[in-house]
Amino acid sequence: MNIALALSPLLVVALGALLLMLAEAFSPRQGGLALGAATVLFVGAAVAGGVWMYGIERLPEAASLAPWLLLDRFGLFFDMLLCLGGGLAALLAGGYLVEHGIERGEFYVLILFATLGAMILASSGDAVTLFLGLETMSLGAYAMTAFRRASPRAAEGALKYFLLGSFAAAILIYGFALLYGATGHTDLAGIGATAATARTPLLVVGAVLVIVGVAFKVSAVPFHAWTPDAYEGAPTPATTFMAVAVKAGAFALLLRVLLIALGDASWTSWAAGWPPVVATLAVLTMTVANLIAGRQESVKRMLAYSSIAHAGYALVGVTALMRDPTQAGASVLFYLLSYTVSTAGAFGALILCGSHGREAVSYEDLSGLGRRHPAAALAFSLFLLSLAGIPPTAGFFGKWFVFKAAIDGGLYWLAILGFVNSVIGAYYYLRVMVYMYMREPAAGAPVALPMRSGYVTAALLVSALFVLALGLVPTRAIEVAVRAATLGAG
Amino acid sequence: MSLASCLLLAAALFCVGLYGLLARRQIVAILLSIELMANAANLVFVAFGHYRGGALGQVFAVFSIALTVAEVAVGLALAMLLYRRHGDSRVELASEMKR
Amino acid sequence: MQSPWLSVLSFLVVSTLVGLGMIGAGRVLRVRARHDSPLKVRPYECGEEPTGPAWMQFHPRYYLVALVFVLFDVEAVFLLPWGVVQRELGPAGVGAALVFVAVLMLGWLYAVRKEALKWQ
Repeated sequence: MNIALALSPLLVVALGALLLMLAEAFSPRQGGLALGAATVLFVGAAVAGGVWMYGIERLPEAASLAPWLLLDRFGLFFDMLLCLGGGLAALLAGGYLVEHGIERGEFYVLILFATLGAMILASSGDAVTLFLGLETMSLGAYAMTAFRRASPRAAEGALKYFLLGSFAAAILIYGFALLYGATGHTDLAGIGATAATARTPLLVVGAVLVIVGVAFKVSAVPFHAWTPDAYEGAPTPATTFMAVAVKAGAFALLLRVLLIALGDASWTSWAAGWPPVVATLAVLTMTVANLIAGRQESVKRMLAYSSIAHAGYALVGVTALMRDPTQAGASVLFYLLSYTVSTAGAFGALILCGSHGREAVSYEDLSGLGRRHPAAALAFSLFLLSLAGIPPTAGFFGKWFVFKAAIDGGLYWLAILGFVNSVIGAYYYLRVMVYMYMREPAAGAPVALPMRSGYVTAALLVSALFVLALGLVPTRAIEVAVRAATLGAG
Repeated sequence: MSLASCLLLAAALFCVGLYGLLARRQIVAILLSIELMANAANLVFVAFGHYRGGALGQVFAVFSIALTVAEVAVGLALAMLLYRRHGDSRVELASEMKR
Repeated sequence: MQSPWLSVLSFLVVSTLVGLGMIGAGRVLRVRARHDSPLKVRPYECGEEPTGPAWMQFHPRYYLVALVFVLFDVEAVFLLPWGVVQRELGPAGVGAALVFVAVLMLGWLYAVRKEALKWQ
């Protein structure tokens, strides 16, 4: 029974997804699926939390699934994070899809399956399970992106996302194929053991291809070309899911690969390993995304670039893994948590500001919102402050820990570049607030009316709670992240 | 067939796929190119699996084929979506959003 | 008398007889067409009349059915290696395969319910 207990977060979501799929196909009533999906995911998060409290180490049979599935605290942390992100996206979808007249039950089923894929990805310790999770996650996300079938933009975004996504997947498996050839292993630990002793050209090419494939998935510059179009074309809850769960899953993959397969000292040295590569990606990602984000006229597209920029900040923490895997890993995990709740909240607030087939897209749509709908504007502001990294919000401590990890690792210049970038980033977040509180809508302009939906309100409340809690008392969460990262390294 | 020739063939397949991905305009042709690239990886797995012994390489190839098929199914669905709109499925049709 | 080649010989004899018999039956039973008959230049001497060129567009319905077919087809690939080692795996292996097939069946049920397999 121990094995079922250790697998319970995955089993809950998998069974929930199958049940919901059948319910969607066979039930005459279509209502309540959003609630069902959100419930399954929050129960999944709670179960993962329960296993965490009980102690996965006390379930020795969990280790018997290694190397296919590594059921450890790192995986459990991501289970909770992904279920939270997926659950928030499901709640947002419950309001958004109805309001925009594209309510079909498949969406919630897709969210559940994609979240399950991301959870498998985060727990995988072998190229087979890794690829299985990655594809399950990505296929769900592709389908969700194209969900608004009448819209050419949705089809375009989904197509770009799909083509570059499957291209990245092909590169990734080619990389793993070469790594298998060089080491004789497909499991990350086995690859790591061989990679530590012998460095052949085959191994290096394989590692480079794997890193490029993962960089596509986390949408690091210069592999980000698909992101803005996919994020803009997708229905906003799908965008939320991509920005939150898909990105977190991809970071879990990156951390596992770098810590386990390429975690040996010969690979983590600045002179002959991956840190300069990741540092370059981090700098490019932060800078390019921030500069382009400031020029956007669509708030949704701005948030898309902002999510790219945030991947850059997280990559700063990933670079710092070279010195202190535990501390830096914990900073990345905490960053992902704070980013998840802030981004889900920001997209949720954007959803709240649009209604009846008309999304709030431009800055002008939001002007005067502070006077007309103070509650919506207040929620939006909170999440924007968090994304900008201004205390007392989660985003502040997220950036704080990541930059601190970089400084402790001796990467002063990287921390400084990150700080400069977050100042640039604050410009376009604050610009939204300026429009909300200091501008009046132009006379005669169509004004986007906020929608009313219990689902969206609930999602915003949960996100706001997390943003404030992490911003006021981050100590407990960072302890949890440190424990998760400790075992992830081992 | 020697390992080296298998690897060369796989690398060539991968490059042909990459070229097709960049040069072809028809979505179905691009899907074929991506499939070529994935199959190049499968070939590498099977070749190394044979060379090293054991079933690992073949196991991975079977999983990879199944997953790639699922991927292509979604891709074809997207191509059909575009086709229904425009009566054609070239990638240029999907370029309304600015870069 | 029980030479292992006896079965091969009898197989050869029977297959030759069947082949010759079919050709002979064809000669006796066939419907003769005149040499200048238009039937002689048709692609198929009997069966469907071909209409239009072969490079035509297929109805999108084909794609949906084909997609569902290919997906299940490929999933069935996993059952082959299982079948090869099924004896060694024992009851646990049977259970795992049953779960696998059950999940596939759920997918099939979904496809049927969504009328993905129905030809309008």
